[in-house]
Amino acid sequence: MKRLSIGTSLILVACMAVPAFAHHSAAGIDRNKTTTVEGVVKEFKWANPHSWLDVAVPNAKGGTDLWSFEMNPPAYLVRNGWKSSTVKAGDRIKVSGHPFMNGEPGGIFVSVTLSNGQTLGAGAAPSNVNQPAAK
Amino acid sequence: MKRLILFPALILIAVTNLQAQFQQPGALGALAPANLAKPRPKPGFDLTGTWLHGGSEGGFRFAPPPGFKLTPQAQVIYDEAKKAQGEGKVYHDDIGQCWPSGLPILMTRVWPIAMIQLPTAIYMIQELMNTMRFIYLDGRPHTDPDIAVPSFNGESIGHWENDTLVVDTKYFVPEHHWLDQGIQTSDALHLVERIRMTNGGKTLEFETTASDPKTWEGEWKWTKKFQRVDYRDIAEVECLPDLNEHMPSTHSNANVR
Repeated sequence: MKRLSIGTSLILVACMAVPAFAHHSAAGIDRNKTTTVEGVVKEFKWANPHSWLDVAVPNAKGGTDLWSFEMNPPAYLVRNGWKSSTVKAGDRIKVSGHPFMNGEPGGIFVSVTLSNGQTLGAGAAPSNVNQPAAK
Repeated sequence: MKRLILFPALILIAVTNLQAQFQQPGALGALAPANLAKPRPKPGFDLTGTWLHGGSEGGFRFAPPPGFKLTPQAQVIYDEAKKAQGEGKVYHDDIGQCWPSGLPILMTRVWPIAMIQLPTAIYMIQELMNTMRFIYLDGRPHTDPDIAVPSFNGESIGHWENDTLVVDTKYFVPEHHWLDQGIQTSDALHLVERIRMTNGGKTLEFETTASDPKTWEGEWKWTKKFQRVDYRDIAEVECLPDLNEHMPSTHSNANVR
């Protein structure tokens, strides 16, 4: 039986690691790259365990590609200023994300720039969960 | 007339077997007031509360121990997962396809867990897909293996050893059930958890010993710590078809299924 070295096994487990919030593996995401696209929001969903953002992005053929961005849950997003009404269908936005390695349009959401110039990130894990909320 | 007698008898047998899944026929359920009211020694602790991983050596996730040895069949799966990973592909991500995580994954993820302790049982709800776990404390034995129904969380039976709660869990499904990605468990998976409360009631330690002779050699052990989080409730989190339709990482053609 082939034995894997300790180093190899730890690397494998580390590579298989997913974002803390995720319900699925994100092994196909290239976290070393960030891609930015501009287009029109088709759908924004405010939901657990992931929010999502679908954007119609013009392509070189004169049509549009649908880019799907997988987002943190609302509990994370609100810590970066998001509300359920921050983005709605028809809004023109600029979105940055870590892309899929296989070239499919979309990725893990990093940030958005709204039509009014405001930029919002992906949020962060709720912290100070053993403390009362600040007043 | 004979058929009329036989039919109710078959129904009675079927109902009796169902009752025997987690308790002896005629035994009180864990939530029966008469069972809750039975005199019992004082438990070692009360873990009722919301808990979140924190302070564990090596983080909250499981990792195989140094020098681990898989069975030949399990090694093939592990190597396939490694190859897929190297190619940037997702490998058999069953949780992403809405299969339950099951034990022990539900105890090795960062989502908070609501735990409710009664004299007869502990009920846990893990925010990860709101998975429920039961630990029976009312003295019942494990179900007869000939009638036990395998499940993702298995059958957990606990007993107190002074201030330590010892939980024995077996009867797991082998399909779509993983110890972690790349390590698929079998129906021989067996977990023993020794649970202690420390730090003045603010920390729970789960020392887990896992064996699965169809998957790996020997026993694997790990200890994970949970911290009490008094200012957070768990949310409703479901794996739904429309969620995955919008998650390319769950339905990409590049995934290995």
